[in-house]
Amino acid sequence: MHRTEDVLATLSMIRQHKLDVRTVTMGIDLAPCSSPDVTTLCDRIRARLIQYAGRLRAVCREVEGRYGIPIVNRRIALSPIGRVAAGHSTEGLLAVARTLDAVAAEVEVDLVGGFTALVQKGWTEAERRLIAALPEVLSTTKRVCSSVNVGSTAAGINMDAVAALGHVLKETAERTRDDDGFGCAKIVIFGNATNDNPFMAGAFHGQGEPDCVINIGVSGPGVVKAAVEDLVAHAPSRPTLGDIAEEIKSTAFRVTRVGELIGREVAARLGVAFGIVDLSLAPTPQVGDSVGEILQAMGVSRLGGPGSTAALALLNDAVKKGGSFASSSVGGLSGAFVAVSEDSALAKAVEAGDLTLAKLEAMTAVCSVGLDMIAVPGDTDAETLSALIADEVAIGVINHKTTAVRVIPVPGKKAGERAVFGGLFGEMDILPIHAAGGSAEFVRHGGRIPAPLSSLRN
Amino acid sequence: MSSFIISVTAADRVGIVYSVTGALLDLGGNVLELSQTVMRGYFTIILEAEFASSPATRQQIVDAIHERGRRFDLQVQVTEIKDGAEPVQVPSGERFILTVLGDDSPGIVHGIAGSLAAHGANIVDLHARVDGERFSLVMEALIPHDLTPAAIRSELERYGRAHKLEAFVQHENIFAATTEPSPVRIGAALRGQGDSVASN
Repeated sequence: MHRTEDVLATLSMIRQHKLDVRTVTMGIDLAPCSSPDVTTLCDRIRARLIQYAGRLRAVCREVEGRYGIPIVNRRIALSPIGRVAAGHSTEGLLAVARTLDAVAAEVEVDLVGGFTALVQKGWTEAERRLIAALPEVLSTTKRVCSSVNVGSTAAGINMDAVAALGHVLKETAERTRDDDGFGCAKIVIFGNATNDNPFMAGAFHGQGEPDCVINIGVSGPGVVKAAVEDLVAHAPSRPTLGDIAEEIKSTAFRVTRVGELIGREVAARLGVAFGIVDLSLAPTPQVGDSVGEILQAMGVSRLGGPGSTAALALLNDAVKKGGSFASSSVGGLSGAFVAVSEDSALAKAVEAGDLTLAKLEAMTAVCSVGLDMIAVPGDTDAETLSALIADEVAIGVINHKTTAVRVIPVPGKKAGERAVFGGLFGEMDILPIHAAGGSAEFVRHGGRIPAPLSSLRN
Repeated sequence: MSSFIISVTAADRVGIVYSVTGALLDLGGNVLELSQTVMRGYFTIILEAEFASSPATRQQIVDAIHERGRRFDLQVQVTEIKDGAEPVQVPSGERFILTVLGDDSPGIVHGIAGSLAAHGANIVDLHARVDGERFSLVMEALIPHDLTPAAIRSELERYGRAHKLEAFVQHENIFAATTEPSPVRIGAALRGQGDSVASN
């Protein structure tokens, strides 16, 4: 018999503290679909997606019912289209994007990732075309997500790609002006991108992966916050930060185990491989489902103030330790997301003037994954956006970790005005960029920032 | 050889287990399985004992437990397991945890048990309690293979709506996963699949 207390504790995590499986993401290798004829290419992609993902929705429903745990999103991550569609024209790439959008709707997944180019060391003609086509793709499709890896610790940073992406963000935002530039929420620019990340918009099916794999993104900011609050409120004496770290570890263990259980069961029912659990703490705009609230529960009442980075480092590390003990299949990004518009407490800290872009950049040095879901003024020039990308990617490249940028220059709006993206994407006051407009010459040099030294690490 | 199911209840005191098992040992008995709990100050134990070398009678066992446990005012019930009797057939199925939470009122356990019995679900373990006005029940039940958890859930939810109760039906593996450090288990029919190196 399971102990009544254990049953009620697990049930409470689900009912009261919003523990859910944020995403079941099916990775599919598209290499066998390649063809010089665009119609054949699209037909093959469609057939392969339906072959693997046709039953995904039904199986997720079965598993939800069996374990009583919500599966919030079903998604598909594909081999980087920059390689799969190599040799095709811009029109061909757009046809692939439209195919992906249509099939994603047909198999009832909410997003499909992999309209991707991995260009950290250099780019092919196809990848250059793909990046140039992104404003059209992101503004005319509903479910297609894109990512571009522009840097790695082994290769350095491709500043030509970084420069191009500043313009891509500007044009994408302009084309989705009526939705506050929402098209930019569907593109992530990475340094050290991971092959098995299940979270969107940055998921793609990387090299070394099998034909088809199920990766899981769990989420539990509410569960971790409740555990920390409970410890602080009921401990016989003031808990130390070591005590708090232990509490987070044991909570992360439970959260991760739920993810592995669901992932293994879904994979087995579909007859495909189980890949990894990504144990990132991913917030939603709902109150009580916020990474920022965890830091507040730890005693940092003004998010963005001194102590925020240290608290976030503790949280991120404790989550990883608990998750690593729980499962040998932990992967993806696995950390705490500071996605500002998607996190009600972080968005409030921006409104209060406590949380600035500079502080966010510092915080991303100790957590996953980077400058995420941040609205900036619409009149920000492309080179400033590129320089912002370069700064964030440099943090990842130098520190051997994944970093990413998902910023939205909101057309027609200035710092302090409200940007509203809706649903899980949330809303926030637009953050000013300090000392903007002075980085164009740096960006225009282009070329590649060399790979960093791997010795003398201090 | 004879075997008996023995249950003993009393107001809880230190030494009851020592007393009961001592009486059985004096008679040459060996305990095969035992479960004991204290509920609201009352001790209760149920066990199976076999007497291989010196067969005891039902009355001898009752008397021995009473005699050795005089100071505890024990209530003793002894049932002999007939030698060679066919084991009772109970329904098989997958083990689910059913949790019911809400306002207390008379008849909840009866109502829930009736819903399960009507579907052929067998209760194998159950703990329920009332704290103030709040009722909570956690049970393990075997749900027949041809029945979906959704069917049981909707039945319990129907009952719950009428009695201000929330009901949850979840496969036991989720509780094993979240509370035990052993490897994650999935359905028996699915084991061996879903490994990260599985080909497809």
